Amino acid sequence: MSIEALVQVLIGGILLGGLYALVAFGLSLIYGVVRILNFSHGTLLAVAGVAASLLYAAFKLHPVVIMLVLVPALFVFGYFFYTVLLQPLEKRNHFESTVGTVLVTVGALLILSDLTAKLAGATQRNIPLRFEAIEIGEIVISTTQIWIFGAIAVLTVAMQVFLRRTWFGRAIRAVTQDPVGARICGVNSSRMKAATFAFGSSIVAIAAVLYTMSFPVDPYMGFGLTVKAFTIIILGGIGNLVGALLAGIFLGVAEGLTGFFWKSEWAPALSVILLLGILVVFPKGLGRSR
Amino acid sequence: MSRTGSLSKLALLVAAGGVPLAQNTYYTTFAFTILVAFVLAQSWDWVAGEMGYVNLGHYAFYGIGAYAFAIALVGKYPTGLAMVFALLVTGLAAALLAVPLFRLKGDYFAFGTLALLPLAEVLALNLVPITNGSDGIVLPPENVLTRAYFIALAVCVVTVLVSARLAHNRFGYALKSIRNDEEVAEVMGVRIFPAKLAVIVLAAAFAGVAGAIQAWQMSFIDPGTVFGLNVALVPVAMALLGGSGLLWGPLVGVLLLATMQQWLLVNVKGYQATIYGTVILLIGRFMPGGLLRAGWVRRLGLLRGLTQEHHERITGAQSAGLHSAGAQSPTVCVEGMRTLPLVPRKTDRSRVLLECREVTMAFGGNVAVDRVNLKIMEGEIVGLVGANGSGKTTLFNCISKVHEPRSGGIFIDGVVLAGMRRDQVAHLGVGRTYQIPRPFGDLTVQENIAVPLMFGAERIKPREALAQAREFVAYAELESRMTDRADALSLQEKKALEFARALACKPRVLLVDEVASGLTPAEIRRFVGHIRDMRDRYGLTVIWVEHIFSALAQVVDRVVVLEQGTLIADGTLDEVVADERVLRTYLGGATLKAAAHA
Repeated sequence: MSIEALVQVLIGGILLGGLYALVAFGLSLIYGVVRILNFSHGTLLAVAGVAASLLYAAFKLHPVVIMLVLVPALFVFGYFFYTVLLQPLEKRNHFESTVGTVLVTVGALLILSDLTAKLAGATQRNIPLRFEAIEIGEIVISTTQIWIFGAIAVLTVAMQVFLRRTWFGRAIRAVTQDPVGARICGVNSSRMKAATFAFGSSIVAIAAVLYTMSFPVDPYMGFGLTVKAFTIIILGGIGNLVGALLAGIFLGVAEGLTGFFWKSEWAPALSVILLLGILVVFPKGLGRSR
Repeated sequence: MSRTGSLSKLALLVAAGGVPLAQNTYYTTFAFTILVAFVLAQSWDWVAGEMGYVNLGHYAFYGIGAYAFAIALVGKYPTGLAMVFALLVTGLAAALLAVPLFRLKGDYFAFGTLALLPLAEVLALNLVPITNGSDGIVLPPENVLTRAYFIALAVCVVTVLVSARLAHNRFGYALKSIRNDEEVAEVMGVRIFPAKLAVIVLAAAFAGVAGAIQAWQMSFIDPGTVFGLNVALVPVAMALLGGSGLLWGPLVGVLLLATMQQWLLVNVKGYQATIYGTVILLIGRFMPGGLLRAGWVRRLGLLRGLTQEHHERITGAQSAGLHSAGAQSPTVCVEGMRTLPLVPRKTDRSRVLLECREVTMAFGGNVAVDRVNLKIMEGEIVGLVGANGSGKTTLFNCISKVHEPRSGGIFIDGVVLAGMRRDQVAHLGVGRTYQIPRPFGDLTVQENIAVPLMFGAERIKPREALAQAREFVAYAELESRMTDRADALSLQEKKALEFARALACKPRVLLVDEVASGLTPAEIRRFVGHIRDMRDRYGLTVIWVEHIFSALAQVVDRVVVLEQGTLIADGTLDEVVADERVLRTYLGGATLKAAAHA
């Protein structure tokens, strides 16, 4: 157990956590505006990740090109998933719309992962694209990791600017804070909801490509990711991107350290235990929602 | 109606007892699967249908039960003891998990509970010394199908009986009130957390026993079969497919979906999870209320008995008794006002019943109630007035413990309220209405009033409470709406119901929050009569928040004025009306001129 190995684990943890945060961004935006917890959100990453790796294997496309293909694809998917399957449920009473959305999104989770496994195989896949490695003493950092770090940072800043400076971003924040008030002020909430659902889903495509470049994906990993994203939202606050990024990095590092000091098999349990623990100590979550 | 319902269900189960006689393993196994699924779906619905909490991790308890049983059986304990062990372990697990999980509401709760499945799976995979990891546990090979079948049948019978009890007993009404509005339920005297804990432990114990029986019959379990996401949601889908909260819902759903599942197993290879997923998705999209609530099913006369909602069953049972009761006891009283089953109290005007000492309540930096000192004497009617946002409702919320005041003390008859729960305050004798009515929407008018009667300081049985509730309904002049759902009432009827429900708390001090706004002059007169009646006939103390000053003026002994959270005037009507600050800040210039003219 050398210091270098620990630093290596920390770097891996921060990277993984940043990717978790990207998944959480979409879930958080969607929950803030549409008030639906999309149980299939993480599964979208698994599917998009498998698709990305297939695209890379077949055409040797550059990751950015793969993103350009997948982002609109998931945007369209998200849009129709919401408008066709979820929006009609809003008209029902509270209990029915709650169980309805839960069943629809859980059903989608099962279908997406099973179909992906049947069509592409249930094996683990990745994008075996490796840039050269940089060595600082004993610590090895691949250029891939640096690119991914950069992408996460740029994306977080871009999202933040988008939410604060653009009309659509402000409308998202307005609806998150007060749906009725926003509607009175002329925000068309039903179109907003569909757009946000599509937008939140499309961010997953970027996260999926970055994820698949550094970690393996498989069709069944999705729900685990959704649980992590949910834990991150509870930790960081709904709609709070910076909080989500910090919470994501915290979770990623904690998982890395679990593997380092104990056994990596326990890492998946960490987010659930953390979630239950937070709920006991801080019933209202840690972060302030924005 | 429900009695015949559970009788016919029991008859169905007795008939199911004949299945093993056919000596056909295939059919017996299939029937066994249905029995186990029914226990799971129905016990899930105690938490969801009765209490309104969607527990997606219910199947985890089934798995925990299966593991506990298997471990005990492999450890050479007798089967019966192993079952009891499974029951205790799941019950304990549910009790421990209830604390964090019930911090969550709505879809958050659904999510938190669903996360239990991957957690349980990781535990089962990694605690190799106990669970044997991914290899699973193999039980001693033994043909136990017939025995397992009859045990499952017995558990089903108990499940049906518990469901029938829950539809009408006090515990069931606690769950129903929680489903509708937790805060109001607590203000009406229901103890919330023990009820939630009890129902989840009860449901988990049944799921655990179901898991134990299933493990016994299959003689093998591994993490995937008892914690897998795709199998775990099947009982939930079954209950919802039939109709959550309906007496027959889970059973119908189980029969339909289990039959379909069996057909798929035989006829379709592969794509199982996709088909399950599609079925779950379609149920969610098109009939989250369940098949038995779909319009075309309800129109089939044949199924009338199966499709009845809780309030419709109540309607049927009550309207039969209504005529006879009406004939016996005409409850109309001399002044044209009905009497209430309240014990008149002797009042002592020199005794302080409610006291606020330096009460302060702030939301963030916004001080809503600022060091308010107030003494209310027994048997007084006090009008509490002030501009909108002056802190009147916040003060009510502090007294009924909806908010915990930031500082200061509130005393009822000398007892300090600090550290008390809302139900304890209700039992001390605080009854209240809400400015925006909050009736229990899916209960009948009669049941709404019966809830505080059942959960009052002296607890009475639901049957008696429902009978007593009629007199309150009559007092509120809602007889024609007695068996209607409360959410079908008009706003004025809801306000009348709120008032009657507050009285049904049998309070010593009644907090009335803007009940008269929106009433016609005649209705206001009648309402003022009610308030006066409360004081003069029953010895109640009343604090009445109202903007209709003329209504207050007819009946109040004293007026207290709040302005931006502080108490600016406290005196008789004449004194307050003459107070310059009150005129300036609340009553306004016009009144000032009118007063000058007078």
